[in-house]
Amino acid sequence: MNSFEDFSRPEEYVSPGIKYFRMVLRDLIEKEVMPVRKEFDEDWEEHKLIEPLFDKIMGNKGLGTQKSLFPEEVGGWGLGHSDYLGGFAYAMAEEVGRADTGFAVAYLVTLWPLLTILVEPYVNWRLAREFAPMFCNSDKAVFAAMCMTEPQGGADIENLELLKGKTIRTTARLEGDEWVINGHKLWPTNTGGVADLMAVPCTTNPGSDNPDDYALIFVPADTKGVTQGRPYEKAGMAADKNGDIWFEDVRVPSWYRAHGPGTDAKVFMKFVIPLGNVGSMGMLVGAMLNLYERLYEFVSTRTYNNRPLKENDAIAGLIGKIAGDIDVCRIIGHEAAMIIDRRNKPYGKPLDSAEVIGKTRSMKKFIADTAVEDFGLAMDVLGVYGVDREWDIEKHWRDIKMIQLWMGGKQLCQMEAARYFYNCETL
Amino acid sequence: MKKKPDDVFIYPGTWINEDARDFVATVEDWARKEIISKRLEYQKEYKKLFHEKRKKLLFDIGLDKIILPEEYNGFGWNTPERAPDLFSIFTEIGKADACVGFLAAVKYACFALVSMEPDIDKKLLDDLVPTYFAEDPKDVAIILPGPGIMGKETPLFKARSIMANVKSTKAGNTIEGKDLRPTGGGADAELFCVVCADKGKEACIGFVPADAEGVKKGAPIKETGLDACTNADVSFDKVKVPSSYLVKRKAAVQELYVWLNLLFGSTSLGAAMNFYEILYDWADTRTIKGGGRLKENPLCASVLADVAREISMARISGLGLAHIMAQSGERGGIGSPGVYTFAQMIGSSMQKSALSALNRGMELMGSAGYSKEWHVEKHWRDIKTIQAYLSGVGSDIPVKMDIARFFYDTEEV
Ligand SMILES: Cc1cc2nc3c(=O)[nH]c(=O)nc-3n(C[C@H](O)[C@H](O)[C@H](O)COP(=O)(O)OP(=O)(O)OC[C@H]3O[C@@H](n4cnc5c(N)ncnc54)[C@H](O)[C@@H]3O)c2cc1C
Repeated sequence: MNSFEDFSRPEEYVSPGIKYFRMVLRDLIEKEVMPVRKEFDEDWEEHKLIEPLFDKIMGNKGLGTQKSLFPEEVGGWGLGHSDYLGGFAYAMAEEVGRADTGFAVAYLVTLWPLLTILVEPYVNWRLAREFAPMFCNSDKAVFAAMCMTEPQGGADIENLELLKGKTIRTTARLEGDEWVINGHKLWPTNTGGVADLMAVPCTTNPGSDNPDDYALIFVPADTKGVTQGRPYEKAGMAADKNGDIWFEDVRVPSWYRAHGPGTDAKVFMKFVIPLGNVGSMGMLVGAMLNLYERLYEFVSTRTYNNRPLKENDAIAGLIGKIAGDIDVCRIIGHEAAMIIDRRNKPYGKPLDSAEVIGKTRSMKKFIADTAVEDFGLAMDVLGVYGVDREWDIEKHWRDIKMIQLWMGGKQLCQMEAARYFYNCETL
Repeated sequence: MKKKPDDVFIYPGTWINEDARDFVATVEDWARKEIISKRLEYQKEYKKLFHEKRKKLLFDIGLDKIILPEEYNGFGWNTPERAPDLFSIFTEIGKADACVGFLAAVKYACFALVSMEPDIDKKLLDDLVPTYFAEDPKDVAIILPGPGIMGKETPLFKARSIMANVKSTKAGNTIEGKDLRPTGGGADAELFCVVCADKGKEACIGFVPADAEGVKKGAPIKETGLDACTNADVSFDKVKVPSSYLVKRKAAVQELYVWLNLLFGSTSLGAAMNFYEILYDWADTRTIKGGGRLKENPLCASVLADVAREISMARISGLGLAHIMAQSGERGGIGSPGVYTFAQMIGSSMQKSALSALNRGMELMGSAGYSKEWHVEKHWRDIKTIQAYLSGVGSDIPVKMDIARFFYDTEEV
């Protein structure tokens, strides 16, 4: 084993384009993010240090990832038309997650809501053309947010298969050719004043469990009636800002709804949930690859019983388990990305099927649980040094815990897996 | 919140000495009134309030002198029989703020070495008490054996590297060590209690005032938790200490570990018990699946059960350890192999249980558990920090080796 790159992945799943993209992205991350990531925590509120880094990865003068999903016709990379969407999403998450999962989620969530309007065959050309200049022509990073969670709970809103939007309290009313939105969301990535564009799941008929009443509406952040609160202070994930957003008689054009009755719920299930899981897995595995790098250094240079830690059979047992876990998790992450990329193949499965939802949820849960355990273990291997930011592992430990908790949490993952594997009907 | 944690986490309360109960109640009162009921304010002005509230506990209530013999105006709780009482007190402190407990635990464990019957070291106490028990908190940091550095063979304490050494000559004693990593609090410490090796490579303990010539502190270190106590490496460059500042008693290092395991364990347990209260309220009022109470969902209830079980086990086993310590006279003393092994075994499993309670319970709290506002994430980071400090190096492998030595006469590990 020579480097973290030697952890297993099914090579045939990785296209030459993804390999090249990874190389460029890694180079950027190594040069720009790795040297300063230890200072992110103190920058949680201002993002003075963090913001310019986003420009370099997302903006036009940098790598330009914020335009990746847009069709080439409107100035994007056309990733929404690609058969390698899942592979790219996973690679983006893994490469950046290796440095910092908070940074990774903030830049990737910009693409998250855009998936619902830019991926074939669900391209909404009108919105693609309207939003393209905002993302494709900017040298600065432009952010989007996917605003699902509400004060009474986020899990139910993501549990669309069971609850079908019944618990959503944010309302959308059609008045002439405008949607009027009222409600309160909280916690979305890239809020706290960051997002330029928000995708807001609303109900057109409060309390209804008819998927037709589920409306996914895009709201530019500077629309009258949108108020964003200050970012919350959290255990970690400093590069991601999260806050409250209030919508008070917010008016947007009627065509800002992603698609229309029925299809909004469908694209949410097809893209937001499975790709959210794939991105989460990529971030987790990226962090785990970095865990390996940092742990390798410690166990090779520090001793127990006057021998390198790694040469003690019992400690080798622990670090061997950690490396084995990383190996398995990376294979799972790639398989999850392929589930996305097989969607148009004869042997592929629809992304909104119980199978894809159940499997990607349980894969994400498996990797998240494993990561939470292994990062904790690794900190104890480092002992008094395990809590030291200098060794990076403790920061990842604080950050990745949230990946286990977001998108409805671990128990929802278990329920959706049970629903698929055992045909449960009431979960 | 319907039930008091003490009523549900049943434990052998009779092991707590009768005359200690009032003091435990006073500390509990301090924890509730000063911190737990004012969490938001406490969190917002943490650094300032930490010092104010802690001072109240240490000096108004008198915890600072709890280890000292009566003749030093102490409580006279300087016997192992007080272990169950201390266990209860540190649990109460941990409920409020593990950092307060952590610092008090370190000081107690260090001074236990020289204050505990029958090993009271009057000369050293006469020297140290006036300075380190003054009316302003004076903190102590411990340097325990831990990871060694490749290419540098060191004397060992049960396979852990002793990174400092003491040279004793007719001219006096000098302590040396470079870039030593304390078990927390190195930046603010005014006194170091350092495990060092003597000429015969035997472990002993040195007390080193931070202002002694040759003591150099490194830059502050950013760490996971225990935010109010900043750590820093420390180097000792031929630091002269009087002979009375060295504790060479056989098994003194073991004693240090025993007290640390008990007091760190009870502090982390306290944090986990306070988390139970927060989680109780959350599970009682939060609804999922379109209206059902979270705690009535069987899957969530099973996670809640895991949390309660971890805390219960930690409390019972921790008090069991305290009881063993209280009766350690029958077993050869606090530093005897049996007591030492049980302390390491129970201490590390208490940390695991407390952390597991937090890790599992946080699964049910979504973003709330992760935000500073709810105080849960602080308990989580503090417990993890204490756990990592205590493990020293190699996770629980060194402790497992201690256990194997005791139970199976393993000799070469
Ligand atoms: C860094 C960060 C980034 C985030 N990004 C976003 C974002 O981009 N967009 C967004 O909308 N939100 C985001 N969130 C919020 C996050 O997704 C939610 O916190 C999460 O979905 C859980 O919702 P909740 O906190 O409201 O908990 P609740 O919905 O109240 O759920 C609490 C717990 O109940 C249990 N539970 C829920 N449903 C079930 C069930 N059916 N069966 C059994 N148990 C169940 C689970 O244990 C769950 O964790 C983010 C949060 C953070 C901290």
